[in-house]
Amino acid sequence: MSFFEYLDSPYPIREDIKTEFTKFWQRLAQPGSWWTGAERIAIARETRSAISCSFCAERKQALSPYNVLGEHDSDSQLDTAAVDAVHRIITDQNRITRAWVESLPQSGISTEAYVELAGIVVCVFSIDEFHRTLGLDLENLPEAVAGAPSNYRPAQAEPGTGFVPMLPREGLTGPEENLWPNGRNANVIRALSLVPEAVRDWLALGSAIYLSVEGMANLVGQEDRAINRMQMELIAARVSAINECFY
Amino acid sequence: MTTKTDVDLQGVNGDQEAATVGIPYGKELMLLAEAVATGNQELLKETRQNLVHQAGASVLVDAAGVAANFQRMVRIADSMGIPVDDMESDLGKSVRSELDLTRFASAANTLQA
Repeated sequence: MSFFEYLDSPYPIREDIKTEFTKFWQRLAQPGSWWTGAERIAIARETRSAISCSFCAERKQALSPYNVLGEHDSDSQLDTAAVDAVHRIITDQNRITRAWVESLPQSGISTEAYVELAGIVVCVFSIDEFHRTLGLDLENLPEAVAGAPSNYRPAQAEPGTGFVPMLPREGLTGPEENLWPNGRNANVIRALSLVPEAVRDWLALGSAIYLSVEGMANLVGQEDRAINRMQMELIAARVSAINECFY
Repeated sequence: MTTKTDVDLQGVNGDQEAATVGIPYGKELMLLAEAVATGNQELLKETRQNLVHQAGASVLVDAAGVAANFQRMVRIADSMGIPVDDMESDLGKSVRSELDLTRFASAANTLQA
């Protein structure tokens, strides 16, 4: 089955965008580090349900997200805690706290599984947002590939930055030796590094729909983009401001 | 290398006139970004059509990519609770002050870290 062909798109979609979206869809279907392929697809499906979840809308209006009880509009077989995690990341992300993240293992979601879940959610959401922005139908989700998660946890991950352990800025070894592109190790790159594959996913997608990390050093603009860097940063900053993102 | 172009940062906070300073199609791009981030589908349809009319389809596609990317980035930052890397740079201090960013709840991830 082919994905992201954009045969009916009224707009010209760059080939690198088609390629990276398709590659991500293929990875999405595979067993991950802490979730099976079927669970990863379920997380993707739940990402879509969160957009129109009536409980999320009610909770968003509450002074505290913990003052409102109810059930999410769910479209998957994920357990309740996983559904809630997906919906929070999509609809109420700036009220996620360390205490809530650290409580997740008591609900059966390890910290490593939370990081992988978040990595899936943000990539699927990003691809879907691209489609919604252009008024295009969302792409069909892929069929899950059978198999068990690898349970791979990078040995060098350490607490101290943010809510979850991350790989250090310097001295990466083994499979993670070249994880930081050109040595760039900002916290937003490190954020998902408890699951290195999630970092690789975000870097690959970002290079197509925004810029590669190397390309970010070019403050003028790339020849293969129709908008210059100032235009890009205006969009980026306005989206971030509305989302109330301090980072 | 930079463009040495003067811009008005208040475009980031939604000032339409400020968004036009030094940035081609700044107002149209800013309004598209607002429509994406608020999820307002009617506004999105209107701003999409306006941007295509003013700037062309390729501009719309690349703008959609950037907006989609930052819908993702803010959620990575907030769900993992990462602090700002360097709170001491003069440029960063200036931007945070001019845009009054400490009003955001997620500032606590940096200021209380």
